[in-house]
Amino acid sequence: MRLHDSLKGWFVEGALAMLACLATAAPASGQQLDLSVNPANVSFGSADPDTTPIVVAPPTVVTIRVRGLSGGGTWRLTVLADGDLIAGPAAVDISNVTWTATPSPPFQNGTLSRTVPQTMAAGTGNVPQPLSGSVVFRLVNSWNHAAGVYTQTFVLTLSAP
Amino acid sequence: MLQVRFPLPLLAVLLLAAPAATAQQSLTATLTADIGVLGKITVSALTLTFPDADPDAVPLVPAAGGPLTIVAKARSGLGSTVTLTVATPDDLRSGTDVIPASALSWTASGPGFASGTLASGVARTLGTWTGSGARTGTQTWFLANSWAYASGMYSLTLTYTLTVP
Repeated sequence: MRLHDSLKGWFVEGALAMLACLATAAPASGQQLDLSVNPANVSFGSADPDTTPIVVAPPTVVTIRVRGLSGGGTWRLTVLADGDLIAGPAAVDISNVTWTATPSPPFQNGTLSRTVPQTMAAGTGNVPQPLSGSVVFRLVNSWNHAAGVYTQTFVLTLSAP
Repeated sequence: MLQVRFPLPLLAVLLLAAPAATAQQSLTATLTADIGVLGKITVSALTLTFPDADPDAVPLVPAAGGPLTIVAKARSGLGSTVTLTVATPDDLRSGTDVIPASALSWTASGPGFASGTLASGVARTLGTWTGSGARTGTQTWFLANSWAYASGMYSLTLTYTLTVP
């Protein structure tokens, strides 16, 4: 009898525990986030700092889609650089790279960082149809930059909540 | 009989306190910036004039108009040596009369700028720097005056060259 009681207790407790687990995970399990970037390589050409103090890259199209958010659920698109612009031993601080993005909202302008993810877009509720933003990256040109071909990667992250 | 009972309240708290699952999607993109080698020099005046003067009273005649302002802008490889030189292919000439180019000298001010004396056919260093940057300095020209010179209107051509490796 006592074993039977014990097993019964296990079943009850297990069921309750399972219920708690499902309740917690359910909001995320139904969410579907889609993110694409085209092109995935942002290029700045060489230019005279006197005539072109800001070098503008061709537009990048960032497309997002958010589904399965409940109620007033929020989403956010962030961008984080993996470091400064690097060309061998030379470096250009990544904060020299900024962007402008439209439409606003949900897209917004910003400055790249290698330490803190910067918000490129944010919103509330689902985005049922793919939404494309035009992102134009800009590089502060300077006579103080060492000559070279610099590269760096950056990560775009679409998340909810 | 041994009973193993998991404390239900604790289990529930643990599950509820666990971080909520977050939906997330990430992509990696690349930045490429071509910062090319570049050099640019500006000189505040393109003509130098030395007025006539008594060699005893003015043995060293300064150029009229005062110092030239020189701006040397260079974008070079990291640690490369940037050099600014001034040269002339010939001496000062007035018809068949000649004054050696070495009669012309200058003093300079500004970081990396150096004083010097002109020489025909030889590039003389006016400035030296390491790496990229925009540098500003002044250059004041002088003509060594002499009773030995034949009177006349003399001229020569100066060439400023900024070398950016």
